[in-house]
Amino acid sequence: MTVSRRAALKMGGTALAYLSAGRAFADSKTITFGGSVPMSGKDSATGLDVYEGYKVAVKYINEQLGGAKIAGQTYKLALQLFDDASDPQRATTLIQKQVDGGTDFFLGSFSSPIVLPSAAITERAKKPMVQAGGGADQIFTRHFRYVFGMYPRASRQLISLVAMLKSMSGEVKTCSIIATNDAYSKAQTAGASASLKEAGVSILDTFSLPPTATDVSGVVNDLRAKTPDVLIATTHSEVSELIVQQLVSTGTNIKLLFFSLGPENAAFRKNLGKYAEGLTFIQYWKASYKYTDPFFGSNQKFYEYYKSATTRKESYQTVAAAACITSYVKAMQDAKSIDPQKVRDALAALDYESFYGPIKFTPDGDGDPVLMGAAIGQVQKTGLEVIFPAKIETAKMIFPLPAWSSR
Amino acid sequence: MVRLVQSLVDGALQGSVLSLAAVGFSLIFGVLQIINLSHGVIVVLGAYLALMLRRLWGVDPLIALPAVAAVCFAFGYVYQRYLISPAIRRANLLYSLLVTYGVALVAQNAFTLVFSPDNQSIRPDYANQFFRIGGVTVNVLQIIAFVASVLLIALLAFLLRRFPLGRTIRATAEQALAARLCGVDVDEVHALTFGLSAAFAGAAGVLIGMLYPFAPTAQENWTIYGFVVVVLGGAGSAAGALLGGLLLGIIGALTSEYIGPAYPNAVVFLVLVLMLLVKPNGLLGSAFGGSR
Repeated sequence: MTVSRRAALKMGGTALAYLSAGRAFADSKTITFGGSVPMSGKDSATGLDVYEGYKVAVKYINEQLGGAKIAGQTYKLALQLFDDASDPQRATTLIQKQVDGGTDFFLGSFSSPIVLPSAAITERAKKPMVQAGGGADQIFTRHFRYVFGMYPRASRQLISLVAMLKSMSGEVKTCSIIATNDAYSKAQTAGASASLKEAGVSILDTFSLPPTATDVSGVVNDLRAKTPDVLIATTHSEVSELIVQQLVSTGTNIKLLFFSLGPENAAFRKNLGKYAEGLTFIQYWKASYKYTDPFFGSNQKFYEYYKSATTRKESYQTVAAAACITSYVKAMQDAKSIDPQKVRDALAALDYESFYGPIKFTPDGDGDPVLMGAAIGQVQKTGLEVIFPAKIETAKMIFPLPAWSSR
Repeated sequence: MVRLVQSLVDGALQGSVLSLAAVGFSLIFGVLQIINLSHGVIVVLGAYLALMLRRLWGVDPLIALPAVAAVCFAFGYVYQRYLISPAIRRANLLYSLLVTYGVALVAQNAFTLVFSPDNQSIRPDYANQFFRIGGVTVNVLQIIAFVASVLLIALLAFLLRRFPLGRTIRATAEQALAARLCGVDVDEVHALTFGLSAAFAGAAGVLIGMLYPFAPTAQENWTIYGFVVVVLGGAGSAAGALLGGLLLGIIGALTSEYIGPAYPNAVVFLVLVLMLLVKPNGLLGSAFGGSR
């Protein structure tokens, strides 16, 4: 058999290309994080915040650190996140597909109704999920071992709010609560109700709204008639905005207004303008917090990088999502392995300080209520200030809130 | 007693805007026999157009209302003439459901791409003025929206009754074939009717954007409300839409006050089912049903 010079060159070239491709493959090992996020649909505003956090952390580790160094190997990180359109059914189909396709590590979607069924699938497959979008108690009370959340469970999230009200030397005696009919809001309301009673704050009314309320004038009429000292709304951003609008447009003044979700979101504050001033909310993170971080160096450096990497304004959900990625990498480094079982065990044992704050999960997988519990923030001069607890406050609380008409 | 009056006032004020938002849906259903599943998209389009005018040139939403209605008219005309009508011609009326549903999905995602999924608001400062009469609180913007809605619906009724175009629309709705035999360009009339309906939906969108926060996903609600209003009031007439909208608003407000704020939708849909069982053509009946 004779081989022409041209054919020999072709074969040689092909073999070289094949060898170099194999070498490149061996050098650039990739860890893929699967999952879904609401990029469209009703939860997409916060869903995109979460997505941005994931993207920025992955970009930093790949571009600034040259990849994640685990047990002497360097890995590139990749995201394989699909749009679940805020639909739990669609999310579960997407997650199941990825589990079947061999994805080993998952990130969470946003909102408890989506995270809950998604986590059930990854749990069954024994694949870890670290998430910054679901706080409902049901996610953490079903003895799941592979699901970790960046917040304490919903029923423990308002502990610091109640502590703040208790510390106000009797100025807050009555409150009304507005909840929506979903797992997160209901659990948060149940937790708050129990601790409010213990704190001696009397609950005048607990209103329950459908998750997609378009009018709350009936509730506002009741609030005006009874006028509690504080209104606690465990509602999602769009309903929170509707409540404020209707309070303003009917001149219904309440001394203190708290919203679980809404004021932390830049679009929410922009829409309400001067009427957002004084609203209080859960504050899990602030750019001025002085935390160190094994990847970014510090919280300040994280924030500087975040601002340089994206134009999307951050919320605490964004930062918590970025911490999901770095916590995964930290756990892999601690485990010296990318075996899902070993990474799960390392996640469960995590106890370190990050740009997001201390990270330590309870045996049930939610954030430790003391270490990862929220502070209380207040919108002041369009910025976000911490008003409780006193040791980390950045501004004094505005109380009572000025009447709407005087703004 | 004050609580009852307050609920009735709130319900009527909210209902008037629902009427304006639904009158176009009703007209299209009555005249073209199309259930326009993209109706809410046009309502939300109206709100976004007003938002753009406000952001770009600081135009007050109420002043922007005629321009928004005109743009929506053009959109509705082109949409019916070049998308819905060919789809129906090639297949049958049922295909309009698929086309309008598809357009609703595409439009919702387009709004998300262009304007982001965040809530938006075009609420002007005067929107927060209010007054109290005998313990009943009334917001000035709601009064403005009520007056604007009733005036626009009255204008539509007048146009349908007194103007040549209105007479042609009614004639086409009653017997399209007979109208065609008399020389009426039925396709043109259908496109004009769709455009007119879109103009009213866009105008309603401006008022809704002033009253409530809105996002691309809001379009689903406004299509559903349109359907409920038609079932309650009857299809094809301005009076039916007004009655249906007011009933929807008042039922919602009374339910919220006396049963609980979690239940307005449940009660409204219960009434909807009862109406479909007892009086499927709505309280005022179909405006053109008798001649078909």
